[in-house]
Amino acid sequence: MNLFISKDDLIRWLELLLRERIIIAPIRVQGQTMFQPISKVEEIMFDFDNTALSSKGWFLPPTETLFSVRRDDGQIKLMPATVERDAIIFGIRPCDARGIALMDGPFLQVPSDTLYQERRNRTTIIGLACRQAQPECFCTSMGSAPDDPSHVDILLTEVKDGYIVQVVTEKGKALLPKGWAKYKRKMPTPPQLKTVPTKGIVSAIREFFNDPYWERLADRCLHCNICAYVCPTCYCFDVRDYPDKGKVERVRSWESCQSPGFSLTAGGYDPRTTKGERLRQRFYHKLLYFPERFQEVACVGCGRCGKACPVNIDIREVISDLHQLAEAKSGS
Amino acid sequence: MDMELIQQIRGKARSLLEEGTVEGVIGYERAGDGVTSRPLFAYDSSAAERLIFDDTCTHNLVKYLLGKRGKKMAVMVKPCDSRAINLLLNERQIDRDKVFIIGVGCPGVVETEWNHKSETLQARCRSCLLTKPLVYDVLLGRELARKAEEETYSDILEAEAESVVSRREFWREQFSRCIRCYACRQVCPGCYCPVCFAEQLEPLWVGIRIAPEENTLWQTIRTFHLAGRCIGCNECERVCPVDIPLSLLNRKLEKDVKELFAFQAGLDPEEPPPFATFRKEEMPELGE
Repeated sequence: MNLFISKDDLIRWLELLLRERIIIAPIRVQGQTMFQPISKVEEIMFDFDNTALSSKGWFLPPTETLFSVRRDDGQIKLMPATVERDAIIFGIRPCDARGIALMDGPFLQVPSDTLYQERRNRTTIIGLACRQAQPECFCTSMGSAPDDPSHVDILLTEVKDGYIVQVVTEKGKALLPKGWAKYKRKMPTPPQLKTVPTKGIVSAIREFFNDPYWERLADRCLHCNICAYVCPTCYCFDVRDYPDKGKVERVRSWESCQSPGFSLTAGGYDPRTTKGERLRQRFYHKLLYFPERFQEVACVGCGRCGKACPVNIDIREVISDLHQLAEAKSGS
Repeated sequence: MDMELIQQIRGKARSLLEEGTVEGVIGYERAGDGVTSRPLFAYDSSAAERLIFDDTCTHNLVKYLLGKRGKKMAVMVKPCDSRAINLLLNERQIDRDKVFIIGVGCPGVVETEWNHKSETLQARCRSCLLTKPLVYDVLLGRELARKAEEETYSDILEAEAESVVSRREFWREQFSRCIRCYACRQVCPGCYCPVCFAEQLEPLWVGIRIAPEENTLWQTIRTFHLAGRCIGCNECERVCPVDIPLSLLNRKLEKDVKELFAFQAGLDPEEPPPFATFRKEEMPELGE
């Protein structure tokens, strides 16, 4: 069912929704576009390329308390963290929505991650189709598209004078007021994107675990965590207990396979000590380990990592390089 | 692009590699976007043919020498980068005999981001006082005129004029955006502790929370560890994915150290750094 609303009606609708729910939307912060809870609908950016960080931070926040334990009158009390309110995440691009669907794999498999599941259940996703592709975009090579409604509850597509509203799920339908006009014309054509040769990459990468390629690529890698933190599908975290006067909080924060100490184990053994081993892990997880367990490559083609990397390590180039290595190997 | 300079760089790299003077040459090549540049490690003469130099070559490649300790490497340094060489020599982190320094004359580098190059020189270049690298084995390209007459620290004076309250607010907002990706640390030639305090568990200096208080602690200690050591390449600010103006912190301390100890990091490989020495007369009110 496709509907149409004017921009003014969209704003009025969001204002109504904001009375009862938290709305997380792209807003301008110090020159950057970021997903943040809004206090007024006017803050929302309707026209933006994509946000500097992905929307994963709403479902897996950079830092959150999982539970706290308190000693009270000789009793030990366990207090799990809960999600207080229903939320709407507005303005997600289809690539980022697919990122959330991919994160569901590890977080919702049994036993599921309680907090993630609760946030997921209590959040409605309103996507915004891309009317323009950016030079870093390659979502069509990664199973999505600029107008892909698969992983949102409602998808908005901007047209002249307003927005086409595609109602995708029951959860999305529940948010809609009555009386919006039907949209009967045909959908606008999505922008064309450059393609990346992803076909066969999962079997190609398998052959090059011990290839010197990774050490060479890692020569220029700084081993910062930028790629992992801007990525919509990187979901590793660290957990630590914070004791404070009779109370202990268990906190988790984003962490990445590139950081020193990530794979350090008790006793001091580290299975990944070289730069190449660390960098290889990033691409093996995305292009081999994740597909082996969840049947999909863990990349949505948003292009943030390549854009943000200070030394231009680009997953598209890595994919092409691996194909070349595979060709060279089969030719020899 | 100055093709003549690039040919000289490639020629030098080729001969260093072919004669076995070095194992590898750390320089620049064109990035995948076709617009900006990225670090290149050339280990053979065919890779040396990819070397370039132009106004997008912002990276301070001296950082990479720390990961190649014990190997004989050549490295391309701009005048600003050469201060990092002096810093690391001064702190006994690199062995002068193991490093072949290809100094390049630099007309300044412009603001870049992926797939985009501006026409604006970076702020640090606009106030650069160096005309050629301070230390090198070979100098390629021309020695150029100074871009500024003196360092005025106008940005710092402006920030200092703000009230304590407004500065606190300003930095609180800035640090609340920090995602603790540690790119500022990873890119810094002065950050080379085998275990950074941020990763130390016993004792725990700063926790894992990506939250304003802990971010502030991280950034404050990071800055103080670079007092009298920051050589002003400003790579930390360039790589910050959330655009925190780290140069304001680093330059404030550079200015203070200059005023208190008449010292600037990286100008001389032998001059004892103020925080590695104790001279009673420097601070008469202390320790009397």
